[in-house]
Parts: sequence; structure tokens; C-alpha cells
Amino acid sequence: MLKDITLGQYFPGNSVLHKLDPRMKIFLIIIYIVTIFAANNPLSFVLVLASAFVLMLISKIPAKLILRGLKAVFFIMAFTAVINIFWTSGEHLLLDLGIVKIYMEGITYAVFMIVRVISLIIGTSVLLTYTTSPIALTDGLERVLAPLKVLHIPVHEFSMMMTIALRFIPTLIEETDKIISAQKARGADFNSGNLMQRAKALIPVMVPLFVSAFHRADELAIAMECRCYRGGEGRTRMTQLHYQSQDIVMLIVMLSFMAVVIALNFIF
Amino acid sequence: MEEAKHAASIALENVTYRYSIGTPFEKAALQNISLQFEGGIITGLMGHTGSGKSTIAQLLNGLLQPTEGKVTIDGKDIWEDPKKISQIRFRVGLVFQYPEYQLFEETVLRDIAYGPGNMGLPQEEIQRRVADAAKFTGITPDMLEKSPFELSGGQKRRVAIAGVMAMDPEILVLDEPAAGLDPRGRKEILGGIRAYQREKKNTIIIISHSMEDMAIYADKLMVLDHGHVSRYGTAHDIFCHAEDLKRVGLSRPQITKFIMELQKAGIPVESGIYTVDDAYHEVLRVFGEKERG
Ligand SMILES: Nc1ncnc2c1ncn2[C@@H]1O[C@H](COP(=O)(O)OP(=O)(O)O)[C@@H](O)[C@H]1O
Ligand SMILES: [Mg+2]
Repeated sequence: MLKDITLGQYFPGNSVLHKLDPRMKIFLIIIYIVTIFAANNPLSFVLVLASAFVLMLISKIPAKLILRGLKAVFFIMAFTAVINIFWTSGEHLLLDLGIVKIYMEGITYAVFMIVRVISLIIGTSVLLTYTTSPIALTDGLERVLAPLKVLHIPVHEFSMMMTIALRFIPTLIEETDKIISAQKARGADFNSGNLMQRAKALIPVMVPLFVSAFHRADELAIAMECRCYRGGEGRTRMTQLHYQSQDIVMLIVMLSFMAVVIALNFIF
Repeated sequence: MEEAKHAASIALENVTYRYSIGTPFEKAALQNISLQFEGGIITGLMGHTGSGKSTIAQLLNGLLQPTEGKVTIDGKDIWEDPKKISQIRFRVGLVFQYPEYQLFEETVLRDIAYGPGNMGLPQEEIQRRVADAAKFTGITPDMLEKSPFELSGGQKRRVAIAGVMAMDPEILVLDEPAAGLDPRGRKEILGGIRAYQREKKNTIIIISHSMEDMAIYADKLMVLDHGHVSRYGTAHDIFCHAEDLKRVGLSRPQITKFIMELQKAGIPVESGIYTVDDAYHEVLRVFGEKERG
């Protein structure tokens, strides 16, 4: 069912990664992504992939959960891999099928691409989405982006919008599930017929879903109004963030890792 | 005598149901439960919050598939051919808890007709059923032409119930149909369901935790406790066991408690009173006698 989509869902726990400062996690993610894209030789890719699994172990998030998240993007990965294999040309011809030629380089690219995507998904989900509560995440984001306020960018409002959106994702998923069940009980059939018929079958789900979403938005706005919400100006916070020694240690580890991967580029 | 049409009975046989299997949130909502709902009567299914009532409701019409065990209608496993499960949903109607949110059509009439329409019935038959269902749920002809979104909460509830009633299922399951309504709304909806059952002579299961309501509207009561049936019988059978009820988090109707207080105070009223009407007659009887005596 819809509920089984776990990509990007907070998973409570008390690992080191859970305890890191959300601002630091955002910096770590950026460094990690740069590292993944800096890798360009087999040894670096092995390291990158290994680091993703190490992060996964540290987080204590069940591997099953993360692998399920990977399954969701399996088709995209397979698709890019196929494109890479068939459309990359190089010097080492492996197979000549007439119209298409498969080169060693194509296969290497495909493998690298897959490793990149896998590490990216595992890394970001383990560092950020699985181990950071949505509230902490937007809070961290707001503070990391705070300097942009100078340019009159409404950072607080954006982060509040994001918090609300994240907050309502599970609610909306649950609601969609409920409405689908209710319409199935009334004999709705979502799995047969041509494209047109299937699209039409969704009307009984979409209409109630939109109606209730607007309703909810309205109620939330009123509730916020009642609690005198006036935007970010002069707003104080219940939790103050302070960098701890673990944050610094993680930063050093991550920077060293990036340095190693980049250094490997020069060696190979 | 009117020829009694066969009414289907539905049963769970050693059913276990777990939610979110394979995730850290895995949870057994039902553990090896067996129960049977008799055909041709209204059964009140009662239990405290979280006792698995809604899960049972969805198992009965095949929206959930048992993790272990079988759901059977007249002894036949409904999952025998999983491809035909939508046929089961036409035989077992389910009205969800707070069903108001499922309305979507432009008019009430069309919304009630959605279910029968999915069954592929001819137009006249659909119209006949809609009119029938509207009658039992107290939906007036002018309401039929309105948009469901302009109705009050209680009216929406009726439309949602009518939408399933119009499918004329052999077995109708209603999950807390009267939850959150005022006393008059409760009476009208539950009374309508009873009138419908008396006419169709089909099998109805009403989930509720109101002892008061079920004492009046259900023929038999089934009490769930920690995933098994702790009591099954008429209101009289059930309410004799006060300690039992307390343990499963339910209580006797207030009027029954009141009558028992009267007994304690030495007034010779009969026990076994579950409705205000009965209490009224009983009190009149006793005090009338006293005056005479
Ligand atoms: N969609 C779900 N996912 C996970 N657990 C659920 C879900 N629905 C119900 N449960 C759990 O199953 C148990 C039974 O729930 P339910 O059938 O709704 O009980 P009732 O209707 O009697 O209140 C509860 O403990 C509840 O937490
Ligand atoms: Mg329930």
C-alpha cells in the first residue's frame, strides 16, 4: 500500500547520526554529495559505496527499510544504466550487434552511475531524512539559510511552509489510503480498463482528497491565527542549537574522506 | 408465513492479522481469532478502542487479507480466488467509520448511485435502489438534488450509509455508524438501519461501543477483548456479567445502573432493564402497585 513508501521518512532512534546538529548534517550532506561526484575511479567508487554502508550501520536503521527505498528508484537506475551501456562509445569494443555497439567504457559508466545513485540515496536518507525529524530538518535549514534574509528572501516563511508540508505528508497518505479503501468498498476498480478509464476511476479519490486538504489548510490557518502567528520576526525558539564535539568530529571525518577521494583522482 | 430467504452468515476462522508486515511498525491487530456472525440478524460488535473492530470490518469484505486463517461466507473462503475479491465486496457492504469523507459526486443522488453503478446494474434498478436507500436513511427528495458538500455532518453520514445500502449487500457491516452524532441523529440512523434489516432480512453487523444503542438496536451482541470474543449473546446475557464488561473497558447502560441502584434502595424493580422505555414502564408498574397496595 501507499504507506509502504518509506523514502524520506523519519525513523526515530538514538544513534550518533540522530544526535548530530541538523545544521551540521546539512553541511555533511553537501560535502558527501560533492565527494560522490568527485569520485571517478574504481577505488574511489568502492570507498564511496563502502562509506554509504558504514553510515547505514552507524545509523542503526534496518537495512531492509533502506533497500525498500532503493527499490522505488530501481527503474530509474536500470533505465540510466541501459542508456549508458548503449550510448557510450569508447575504445574497447566488447560486442557489436550491428546497430548498437557495446563498449567497455559504457559498462564502466553504467556501474559508476549505479554506485553513485545508490550511495546518494543511502547517504542522504541515512544522514538526513531517516535520522532527522522533519521539524529539526526545517529548523536547521532555516538557520543555515538565515544569511539570505539580508537579500529579503523570506527564509522563515519558506521553512514554515516546508515544515507544514512535511508534517502533512503522512496525514495525506493515510487519508488517501482511507479514501481508496472506502471507494473500493463501493466497488471502485482502479486496476483495469484503458488509460482514460483508469484516470476517471481516480476522480472518486481525488475529489474527497482535495476537499479535505483545503479544509485542513483552512483549519490550520485559523489555528495559527488564533495562536497569534505573525511570521518569523521576533520569534524565539524553544530549542537552541549548539554544535557539540560529535559534530566537529563528524565534520573532520567527512572532510578527510573527501580529501582522500579527491587525492585518489590524481593518483589514478 | 413469508418464505424466509436464506441470509448469509460470515465467519473468521483462526484469523491473525498483522499491520505493516516487514517494517519496524509491524503490529498484530488480531491474534488467532475465530468468530461467527449469524445470518438474518443484527449483531452488535463491541469492544474498547484498539480491540480490532475496524480491522475485522475490513477483513470481512476483503479489503484486508488475513495474514493467517480464513474469512468464510456460508463456509466458503472468500479468498479462494483472489481475482474475484471485488465480487465479495458487492456481497459484503462496508460503511467505514466517519464515512462522510468518501462523498465526491455533484449530487447526493449520483453519489448514492455510484456503488450500484459499479455493479453494472440497469438504470431503473439503480434508481429504485437509490430511492429505497434514501427512504431508510431519511434522505428527503430535495436533498437528493443537492451537492453532498453543502450538507451538514449528520446528513453526509446518511448519504454515505445510503451509498452502501443501495448496493443491497447480503451482509452489511457498519463501523460506528452513529459515532459523534446527537441523540436524535443516532436514533434516526440506527432506527433506519434496523428498519432496513427487518425489510431485507439480511445480515447486519454494527460496530459500536455504546451499550445503550446496541441494547436497543441489535439482536445479539458480541464483545471483543484482547483479540478474542469474550461474550456473545442477547443484551440480557451480556449485561448479567457486569464484572466482565468492566474488565473489557465497557459498561452497562446507565439506565441499567440506575435500576440496580433502585434495587439496592429496596425498591422491588425487576433487573434486566436496558432501555429507558423499559425502565419507564417498570418504574410505573412498581410505583403504581405501591399506590394500590
Ligand atoms: N493502518 C494501521 N497500521 C498499523 N496499525 C494499525 C492500523 N490500523 C489499526 N492498527 C492497530 O491495530 C489495532 C486494532 O485497531 P482497530 O481495528 O482500528 O481497532 P478498533 O476499531 O477496535 O478501535 C490497534 O492497536 C491499532 O493501533
Ligand atoms: Mg475503529
